Amino acid sequence: MSRKRTVKTVAATRLENPESPTRAAAWRRIAAIARNAFREAVRDRVLYNLVLFVLLLIVGAIFLGELSGGQERKVIVDLGLSAMLLFGVFISIFVGVGLVYKEIERRTVYAIFSKPIGRGEFLLGKYLGLCLTLFVNVVVMGAGVSLALVYVRRGWDPLALRIWPAILLIYVELMILTGVALLFSSFSSPALSALLTFFLFLIGHFSADLKNLATSMGSTGARWLFGALYYLLPNLANYSYITPAAHGQTPDATNVLAALLYAVIYISMILASATLIFSRRNFK
Amino acid sequence: MKMEANLKQSNWTRRDAVLVFAIILGLTSVVMTSHWIDARRPPVDPALEEERLYVNGQSAKRLSFGFNGLLADWYWMRSLQYVGRKIISLRSDVPLDDLGSLNLKLLAPLLDTSTALDPQFIEPYEYAAVVLPSIDVNEAIRITKKGIDANPLAWRLYHQLGYIYWQQRDFKNAGEIYGRGAEIPGAPAWMEAMKARMAVEGGSRGTAREIYLRMYEQAGDDQVKDMARRRLLQLDSLDQRDLIRNELSAYSNKTGHCPTSWREIEVLLRASRFQVDASGAPLDPSGTPYRLVKNGCDTDLDPKSEVPYK
Repeated sequence: MSRKRTVKTVAATRLENPESPTRAAAWRRIAAIARNAFREAVRDRVLYNLVLFVLLLIVGAIFLGELSGGQERKVIVDLGLSAMLLFGVFISIFVGVGLVYKEIERRTVYAIFSKPIGRGEFLLGKYLGLCLTLFVNVVVMGAGVSLALVYVRRGWDPLALRIWPAILLIYVELMILTGVALLFSSFSSPALSALLTFFLFLIGHFSADLKNLATSMGSTGARWLFGALYYLLPNLANYSYITPAAHGQTPDATNVLAALLYAVIYISMILASATLIFSRRNFK
Repeated sequence: MKMEANLKQSNWTRRDAVLVFAIILGLTSVVMTSHWIDARRPPVDPALEEERLYVNGQSAKRLSFGFNGLLADWYWMRSLQYVGRKIISLRSDVPLDDLGSLNLKLLAPLLDTSTALDPQFIEPYEYAAVVLPSIDVNEAIRITKKGIDANPLAWRLYHQLGYIYWQQRDFKNAGEIYGRGAEIPGAPAWMEAMKARMAVEGGSRGTAREIYLRMYEQAGDDQVKDMARRRLLQLDSLDQRDLIRNELSAYSNKTGHCPTSWREIEVLLRASRFQVDASGAPLDPSGTPYRLVKNGCDTDLDPKSEVPYK
């Protein structure tokens, strides 16, 4: 009786969820695409920006003490984390917009889609590959900033650890931006995609002003428009924690969790939109 | 022929060599041309150099796209360079809290912008409290109050605001500010003592010594620390000069004339525990000998002394 029930349960599960064995295979395919996207970024010497970053930090650590009136620790954190964000933004934009376009341009997309790979899987794999590149980039840069702080202090500095929540938020901001770049590149040319993503990065930091505009506008239409823009565009101000981090402050755990949740929802939405557009795209 | 063979061996062609030569020649020409242009550049109009900042603090914050901390550091460093350049151009040593003659009209907007970009950046507020009163006291008070509003738990800023009021001889407000600062959790006990001191002996040298001593201990900025150290030297020197004048007066009462050299009162000075140099001249707190002035009836600082004159 019990054996019968077990067999029935397994069979029923398969009937209810026919994709469960293929789901694991799908994730394997996504992981393979992500690995390749990461390798491609390494081959394209994207990580060479780390050399520039390290040079910037060394120069900063040596000379800023003299220029900043004894505020070198604050300046190193500001400079290091801002450079991390800026370099990351450029990688997200310029590598992100080429992820799909390069495959179409080289016609390798035909070879990929001749295999049992869904377009959504392809996009997700590319996205995760670039996120992995950014992760390596951000972790190495973060370690560089921490080491610079230890060097300046000539010993252990608690700030070297306290900056990491801010680094996490920078990484999440870059993940959102990469998603945006991928979305634009799924239907537009690389140049236009880069421009649009950069505009969105700028506007994303103006979100508080959009909300203020929405509340202060006289006409209902304008109020609705700015209100809609405020909610539609990514609110990147949620991830700006560089300045407080330079004072040794760490963000509230609830705020970090809320910002992470916002990012997960926003990125899922962007990738879903990108998949929707990309799956209807004709490559002829 | 041999050279050509060598070039081929190292994968270098004659064309590569010509290109490298062109690059080196180009770089040299660029440096020389830049020097030539710099040498002939007309001097910068001082009016343009002192032109008001185009972007105020709030606009700068909006336009910083999350890089406001870095921008605040840049404005802070610009403030220090601005003051430093003016002091260097003056070619004389002026204390940090007496820069009124330097026409530092951009300093307040620079510090204001820096603190608008990063309201928790304490050092620009402290710098404003020390340097700005001799230039624009109202701006000094406004910026320090802005700092207190943004950092209500930073008792050091109450000390700085109290210092500004004390400098203006507004002992009532100074005492009130010290009292408010003393209520902040973590504020040192001397803040409360300073409140009482302002009410009883606000204008005394003892109060001044206490203020500069605390400023020296608490200042985060090296320039502010140095200013406080020099003011403490000055206070010590004022006490010393009072003592020397007493000795000079006692000597002239006894002999009917003022001393022609320090040697004549060296014994008296040594008895008063003064350090003296080889000529018998007493040394000021920075180690520079005092001068005899007014035909030996008075004493003054040597112009080379580190002790501030004013």
